[in-house]
Amino acid sequence: MKMRLIVTKRVKPLKFGGIIIPFLSIVVGIFLATIALYGLARVPPLLVYGAIGQSLISPQMLQTFVMLTILGVALIIPFNAAVWNIGAEGQIIWGMIMSAFIGLTVAVRYIIVSPSDLPKYTNMPGMFVLPTPTVSGAYAVEALTMNPGAAICLMLIVAGIAGAVWALIAGLMRAYLDIDEVATTLIMNYIAYYAYNYIVYGPLQGITISTSGFGLSNALHPALRFSRISTATTATWEGVALMIAIFVIAWFVLRQTTFGLRLRILGSNPQVLRAAGINVRKYIVLALTISGAIAGLVGTILFAGNLYQLIKIKTITTPPTHNIGYTAILVSWLSMLDIRGVPIAAYIVASLFQAGINLQSSLGGVSGGSAMISSGALTYVLIGFVLTTFTVLRVFAEYSIKVVREGR
Amino acid sequence: MYVPDSGEIYVNGKRVIFTSPIDAIRHGISLVSQIPQLIGSLTISENIILGLERFGMMTNIRRVENYIREESEEVGIKVDPNTEVWKLSYTQKQLVELLRAVMLGAKVLMLDEAITFLPIREKRKFYKFMRKFASQGGSVILITHKIPEALEVADRISVLRRGKYVGTVETRTVTIDDVRKMMFGERSAQITYERLPTSTPDDKVVLDVRDLWVMGDYGAFSVKGVKLQVRAGEVLGIAGVAGNGQLELVQAIMGLRKVSKGRVAILANGGLKDVTNKGTGKVRSLGIGYIPDEPLKFGVSMENNIEENLAMLPAIAKGIIKWGQIRGLANKLINEFKVVTPSSRTPVKLLSGGNIMKVLVARELSIAKKLLVAYNPTRALDEVTAVMVRKIIKEKVLKERLAVLLVSEDLDEIFQVSDTIAVMNSGRIVKTFPAEKAEREQVEKLMVM
Repeated sequence: MKMRLIVTKRVKPLKFGGIIIPFLSIVVGIFLATIALYGLARVPPLLVYGAIGQSLISPQMLQTFVMLTILGVALIIPFNAAVWNIGAEGQIIWGMIMSAFIGLTVAVRYIIVSPSDLPKYTNMPGMFVLPTPTVSGAYAVEALTMNPGAAICLMLIVAGIAGAVWALIAGLMRAYLDIDEVATTLIMNYIAYYAYNYIVYGPLQGITISTSGFGLSNALHPALRFSRISTATTATWEGVALMIAIFVIAWFVLRQTTFGLRLRILGSNPQVLRAAGINVRKYIVLALTISGAIAGLVGTILFAGNLYQLIKIKTITTPPTHNIGYTAILVSWLSMLDIRGVPIAAYIVASLFQAGINLQSSLGGVSGGSAMISSGALTYVLIGFVLTTFTVLRVFAEYSIKVVREGR
Repeated sequence: MYVPDSGEIYVNGKRVIFTSPIDAIRHGISLVSQIPQLIGSLTISENIILGLERFGMMTNIRRVENYIREESEEVGIKVDPNTEVWKLSYTQKQLVELLRAVMLGAKVLMLDEAITFLPIREKRKFYKFMRKFASQGGSVILITHKIPEALEVADRISVLRRGKYVGTVETRTVTIDDVRKMMFGERSAQITYERLPTSTPDDKVVLDVRDLWVMGDYGAFSVKGVKLQVRAGEVLGIAGVAGNGQLELVQAIMGLRKVSKGRVAILANGGLKDVTNKGTGKVRSLGIGYIPDEPLKFGVSMENNIEENLAMLPAIAKGIIKWGQIRGLANKLINEFKVVTPSSRTPVKLLSGGNIMKVLVARELSIAKKLLVAYNPTRALDEVTAVMVRKIIKEKVLKERLAVLLVSEDLDEIFQVSDTIAVMNSGRIVKTFPAEKAEREQVEKLMVM
């Protein structure tokens, strides 16, 4: 008697697969991760669960959640059309650069004052004194040249355009020259990193002794910074508002317009669109451009909401984005490319990130050995197991597997 | 290709499980389908080597060629094994497919509508081979929707209806009507091959094609100076064996393929408007419906539901979609065409082929204001539905003065619906007749000339 394993693709999707699979992969993934962490580094499982539980309600993860939600939305727009934007990183970087350009040059002018005149400026409204003196020994004061609200809007617009243009290049190459956008968007991330480093040593380098030549820009004028929701979090009102607006608009476009419908059809069958008389190339380019524009906005949120300054990239693996543009790919896949799942996926991934950080700090007092594990490593063990489980479950969801006897 | 969810398959009394076509071939079962599965850029012998295990990884191509020559003589097919497949006509490709199946050492030869569209002469030749093959201990399973064909060659006829086994009869004990009843039950009375009422075309020309030259996929001209006109209230049927340039002609008219020379013009605002190489969007915006060949690939999006497949067309929805309105249209079309579906929001891939085709035909007819371009519009349909679709098309022609360009490899269809018949052969329109005066034998001769 011979046994044979039969693997067939399911015609009908599993019922509730879109909810059950992400949910199960998180629960099972976390469970497996605790076993692994215990086996590898004797991390007490209860500590892991505690850290995760804590992070789910921690206000510190809110900013990560906001950015991941926006980026998740940005990515599922082209992903639905089977256009793979791996370049959110580069688009964010350009968003940051252009926000800094507006915020540090267009929206302010610099007044150079001698140390003796400085006290006059320190308390003058609308003036921001840079903390260290310039190379010549004088101090620089940032004075607003425009209404701060208008300046912030301008930062967002220009950042969106910058991200869009960066993505547009890859979009045009894909649509008209048939060059794979996965490769081009990915490569362009690194081009953006190097461009960023060039700029922080060049056009946007700071004018004070602690910034000029150190790969740092000037700091953003406080009036142009986004306002924090509370002191316990780095999340900002502006960021949250943007997240809600982008989510609602994107949902509407994807579900209620012909543009969104055709994007979704483009993902499974471009020929059918051609026969319907639709310019498929235009849709490919638009999908990437819109995605890039939204990612560019995240650049502003990061710059004006968290960092306030451009800081050079020391090694290519540690950009100021903390690779959130790549993490967002994970979010969009966990959402099963359904926009309604994006905030949920973003919430979970953001919590796991926070859990890694929390866990590391609580491990400090437990044992010498496990304290060696960095929060990054902890986070990646957690997320890695979730993702592995997700992949395995997807196979079961897409295929039915059974054993049959053969012969007699 | 599929593994049964339940039930068993036995070969020579032994239970088998096939998880790939290779498994079946190893047990001596080969399939030839309606669409040639050959690689266009390779030669005949290269294509055949691909499937033959006996030649192993390293092969002397000359040995294979000689072997092919021997075998093909036996089957009664004349081919030069060095020819690249893209140069072959549909008939020749199909014959190569049949040859390959035989060379695979098949004991059971399954022909899935494989010879339905072959010219009658080649068909007869192959019938003879099938007889010989069977007398030497082989079996042939011929899948066809043409009852006369089954009656002509088969020893026994089994009928399947909607995936269910109806029964098996000895061919010599039954008539065409018996088989038809088994296939369609009560509804068999609706089947007719009678000509539908002829329409008298208006003088108004809706589609005007002049001296059209179009390249095929391999850099040779597939359409060579075609000239044709379709008037309002007329069905122009283009008869021809598949692969004689019909596909390229239709794609060029629809703006899906580049026109090298010549002109395509469509009626717009009272005059003919040149749409040559202006893109499909432009052509469609003039009120043109299109039923493409391979409709499951080019006609509908399988992953999306019926409503979405409607709203996708610029002629049906623009900008913000009013889903309520779309649902109304969907339900209207579902009722009108008796589409069997749980709801208008069921993904199209869960419907049967015939029902998908109904959705497509219904949609295109609903947007065709002036002209419908259709390629094999009833290929995937059972006969009852096919006749129904033809009647609906003809009714639109008679009542709403629609112009129809109908390209079909099915002569029954051409004769049933057309008001004018044009025969296409090797990229040229070789003759045009008023349908009432056309004779079937003459048309067949011109098709394979």
